[in-house]
Amino acid sequence: MHPSTTPADSKITPQVLARLVEIVGVGGILSAREELVVYECDGYTIEKNTPDVVVFPISTAQVVEIVKLCNQHQIPFVPRGAGTSLAGGCLPIGGGVMIALTRMKKILEVNLRDRYAVVEPGLVNVHLTNHLKGTGYHYAPDPSSQGACTIGGNFATNSGGPHTLKYGVTVNHVLGAEMVLPDGRVVEIGGPCEDSPGYDLPGLFVGNEGTFGVCTRITVRLTRDPAAYRTMLGIFNSIQDATQTISNIIGAGIVPAALELMDQGIIEAVEAAFHFGFPLDAAAVLLIEVDGLEVAVDDEARQIIDICNQTGAREVRTANSPKERLLLWKCRKQAFGAIGRLSPSYCTQDGVVPRTKLPEILAFIIAMSEKHAIRIVNVFHAGDGNIHPILLFDERDADQVRRVLAASDAILEKCIELGGSVTGEHGIGVEKINLMNKLFSEIDLAVMAQVRDGYNPSGLCSPRKMLPTAGACGMEHIERSTPGRRAAL
Amino acid sequence: MSLAPAAESDFQPSTQEELSRWLADNSTGPARPVFAVGGGTSTQFGYPSTVAGQTVSTTRLDRVIDYPARDMTVTVEAGITIERLQQLLATERQRLPIDIPEADWATLGGVLATNASGSRRLGLGTMRDAVIGLSAVDAEGRLFKSGGRVVKNVAGYDLCKMLIGSLGTLAVVSQITLKLRPIPERSAILWVPLSAIGEAEPILERLTSSATRPVAIDLLDRRGAELVSAKSRLSLPVNAAVLVVGVEGGVRDTDWQLRTVQDEIRRVQSGESHAVEAGEVDNLWSALTEFPVAIEGPVTFKASLLPSRTVAFVEQSARFGCAIQAHAGSGIVTGHLPGSAETVESAQAIIRPVRQAAEACGGSLVVMRCDDDWKATLNVFGRSTPATDLMRTLKTQLDPRGLLNPRRLFGDM
Ligand SMILES: Cc1cc2nc3c(=O)[nH]c(=O)nc-3n(C[C@H](O)[C@H](O)[C@H](O)COP(=O)(O)OP(=O)(O)OC[C@H]3O[C@@H](n4cnc5c(N)ncnc54)[C@H](O)[C@@H]3O)c2cc1C
Repeated sequence: MHPSTTPADSKITPQVLARLVEIVGVGGILSAREELVVYECDGYTIEKNTPDVVVFPISTAQVVEIVKLCNQHQIPFVPRGAGTSLAGGCLPIGGGVMIALTRMKKILEVNLRDRYAVVEPGLVNVHLTNHLKGTGYHYAPDPSSQGACTIGGNFATNSGGPHTLKYGVTVNHVLGAEMVLPDGRVVEIGGPCEDSPGYDLPGLFVGNEGTFGVCTRITVRLTRDPAAYRTMLGIFNSIQDATQTISNIIGAGIVPAALELMDQGIIEAVEAAFHFGFPLDAAAVLLIEVDGLEVAVDDEARQIIDICNQTGAREVRTANSPKERLLLWKCRKQAFGAIGRLSPSYCTQDGVVPRTKLPEILAFIIAMSEKHAIRIVNVFHAGDGNIHPILLFDERDADQVRRVLAASDAILEKCIELGGSVTGEHGIGVEKINLMNKLFSEIDLAVMAQVRDGYNPSGLCSPRKMLPTAGACGMEHIERSTPGRRAAL
Repeated sequence: MSLAPAAESDFQPSTQEELSRWLADNSTGPARPVFAVGGGTSTQFGYPSTVAGQTVSTTRLDRVIDYPARDMTVTVEAGITIERLQQLLATERQRLPIDIPEADWATLGGVLATNASGSRRLGLGTMRDAVIGLSAVDAEGRLFKSGGRVVKNVAGYDLCKMLIGSLGTLAVVSQITLKLRPIPERSAILWVPLSAIGEAEPILERLTSSATRPVAIDLLDRRGAELVSAKSRLSLPVNAAVLVVGVEGGVRDTDWQLRTVQDEIRRVQSGESHAVEAGEVDNLWSALTEFPVAIEGPVTFKASLLPSRTVAFVEQSARFGCAIQAHAGSGIVTGHLPGSAETVESAQAIIRPVRQAAEACGGSLVVMRCDDDWKATLNVFGRSTPATDLMRTLKTQLDPRGLLNPRRLFGDM
C-alpha cells in the first residue's frame, strides 16, 4: 500500500485513507497505481478508469462504515464482484472507492427442506452448485461465466445462462437480500418466505446494476436436480435451417432445458481448442438439452429430433454418456475463451428478438458482416431469442474499429425494430446507455430515474450507470473509440 | 363479493391514452383520489379510503394487442378477464399457468395488482414469473412502460416486479405482456385422506426428495377438505386432513408419477390414496382454485411461512375451527375463520396467535377479507419492517400526493 500515489485532486485524503485502513485493515485495501490498474475496467474494456482505492470488506458492518465514510466526504463508490460484466458495470466513473465483495464469499445456510440457501455476495456462482452436489438440489441460474462470476454480480445484473430457458433467470430464483443502501442503512428485503406483503422489493432490486446500494447477502431458491438429461447436437448446412428449427421447436410448445446455437466460426475455434469432433464444414450446430423425468425425456428428445430432421438437419447426434455431455457443455461455456484463436480483438454483443424473428436477425447479422467487412461469429442462447454476435477485428486498425461500432449499433437497432431489446443479460452499464432512449421514451426513463433517486438520491453509488443523464446522450464523459478486446475466461 | 363496476365507476376508458389524459386532467388543480378497479373481485382487500374520490374501471380496456403464439407470448390490455384470456390461449394449446379464482370476473390487471396465485404455483410460478412487460399510467397521467415483449430482457429497472402486488397504489396498469406455457397433455391429482394433520409431515418431508416433480402439494384440514370436496361436486373421502398432490405432463409420465408418489407415500403412511378420475380432475382443480373465495366465515387470511412450518401452522389454525388450504410446498396458506368469530374480538383471538406463528419463522399474515370496521383492530398487513420504509420511498417517489388508492396498502400507502 502506497498512500502517496493517490492523485492530488482526489477526495481520498490521507485522513480518508487512514480511516479506510481502520475499517478493513491494511490487508483489505489497494491504493498503489500499479495495483489499481487491474481494476480500471471489467469484461468491457472500451472504457477505462482507475478507482482511487479498492477495498475488500469482509462483513456487512465494514461495508456500512465504508459507505458512510464515502457519504461524509462525497466520494463516489461502486460495488464490484468478479468484474466479468460485459457492459462496464464496474467502471469507476469519477474514480472514488471501489468496494470489492470477493472476500465475502461464505455460504451461510443451506436449507433443503425449505429449498433455499443464504450466501454472501462474493460467492462464485458455481461454488454454490458444487457445494450442493449430492444433495439432489442445485442453484439454477448458470451464466457461461459461472466459474468466475459472483452471485452478488448475478443479483445486480439479473444474469441468465443456457438453462434459464426452462428454469428462469436470476430474479426467478432470488427470494431476498440484505442491502447496504447508498446512505449506509442496512435493510433486509424479502426472505425465505414467499410473497412478503407490499411491493416486491427483491424483484425490483435484482438487475439494479449496483445503483441501489451494495448487496451484502442473498437468499436464493434451490431447485431439484433433473432426474435425467438427453443432450443432442443438431448439425445444419445452413444457418437459416438452424434458426428455423429453433422457431419450430418453441412453436411446437416444447420448452427444452437449453437450446444454444454455435455457427461455423465458433465451431472452428471450439474444435481447435477442445477436439470434440464437431464437423468443421457445418454452417451451424444446435446444442439442445431436455431434462426431467426419465420416463419423459425420451419422448421429448424424439420430438425434437423429428423437428430437426424436418427442417433439414444433416445429422442429429446424441451425447452417449455424462462425460460426453459435460464435454459438450464445456465447449459451449468456454466458447468465448476459444475466440482468441480467431482474431486479436473481439466484441461480444447482446441483443434479444422474439424467437420467431431469429432467422431474420441472423440474416441481418450476415448482411452487416458483409456490408462492414467485419467477420462476425455467433454463439448464443437461441431458445430465448438472446443473440450474442461476436465481432472480430484488430483494435490497432482504426477503420476496423469504426466499422465494428457501426455494425454493432446497426444490429442492436435491428433488434429494437424487430420488437426486441438491446440486452438480454449483460446489462446496460455504461456500454449501452446511449441506446436506452431508443428503447424507452423520455417518460419511461423519467419514471426509472424517480425510482433510482428514491434510493440513491446523491448519485454517489455507481454514478452514471444504466440511465442516461437527462438531456445528454450519456456518453459525453467517454471517448467511445475502441470496442476493446473482451477478456476471455 | 363482486361489484358491478360498469354501474359504479366514474370513468371507463377504452384506450390507455384516454386513461392517461383522464388521470392527467385529474391531477391538475384540486386533485381527487383515484380508485382503479378491474373485475371488482378483490376490492375488499386492504384498508378503505377515508376520502372520497373517483373510480376508474379498466374493464373496457380489454383488447388483445398481439398474440404471436409461436413466440409463446401475448400482449393484452389489463381489463381482459382471465377467462377470456385463457380461452384465447387455449386455441393455441397455451395458457397462463396461474390458478385464479372468479376467472369470469377477475381481470389480468387485477390479478397483477393483487399477485393472486393458487395451488400450482409450486411447479409453475406466479405473476412475477409470467409478466415480461407492461404499460401503466401514473397519478399524473404519464403513460410509461417497462420490460418488453421478449422473454429475456434486462434493459432498465424491472418496474413490472414493482407493480405486481402493488394494489394499484403506484400506477394504473393498462397493458401487460405475458410469457406463456403450453397446456400439458394431462394433469392428474392424488387425493390422500389423513387421520391427523400431523401425518402430513413425514409425507411432505419424503416429497422433498421425491423422484417425481409435483406441480402442486396442498394440505387441507377437515373443514377445508369438506369445502373443496363439496365445491368439486365429487364425493371425495374426507378425514381429519387431506393431502392433494398434482402432477402434469404427458400421459405416460403422469401415470408414472402418480404411481411413484403413491409408492413413496405408502412407505411413510399406511392409509389409502385416491387417484382422482381423469374426468374429474378439472373439477377438483377448479374447487382448489376457488377456495380463497369460497367464503365461509367473516375473515379470510393468507399466511406466508417456511414450508417446513406449514403442518404445525395448519394444526394450530384447525384447532381454532378455521377452514384451511395450505400450498405446503410453498408455505402459502389461505384460511377462513369459523362463523363463530362473530365479533372483532373473537376474530382477533384467532388472528393474533396464528399471525405470531407466521411471524416467528420470518413469515407474515395478511387479512384478505373482513368487515372494514375490523381492519384497524386486526391489522390487515401485520407488523411493518425496515423494508416497509423502502416501499414508502417508492410511493413517495411515484405518487407523492397519494392519489392512487390512498391508504389501501399498510393504511398509509
Ligand atoms: C466469458 C463470459 C461469459 C459470460 N456469460 C454470461 C451469461 O451466460 N449470462 C449472463 O447473464 N452474463 C454473462 N456474462 C456477463 C457477466 O459474467 C455477468 O453479468 C455476471 O453476473 C457478472 O458477475 P460479476 O461477479 O463478475 O459482477 P461484476 O462484473 O463485478 O459486476 C457487475 C455489476 O454488478 C454490480 N455488483 C457486483 N456485485 C455487487 C454487489 N454485491 N452489490 C451491488 N452491486 C454489485 C457491479 O457494480 C456491476 O454493475 C459473461 C461474461 C463473460 C466474461
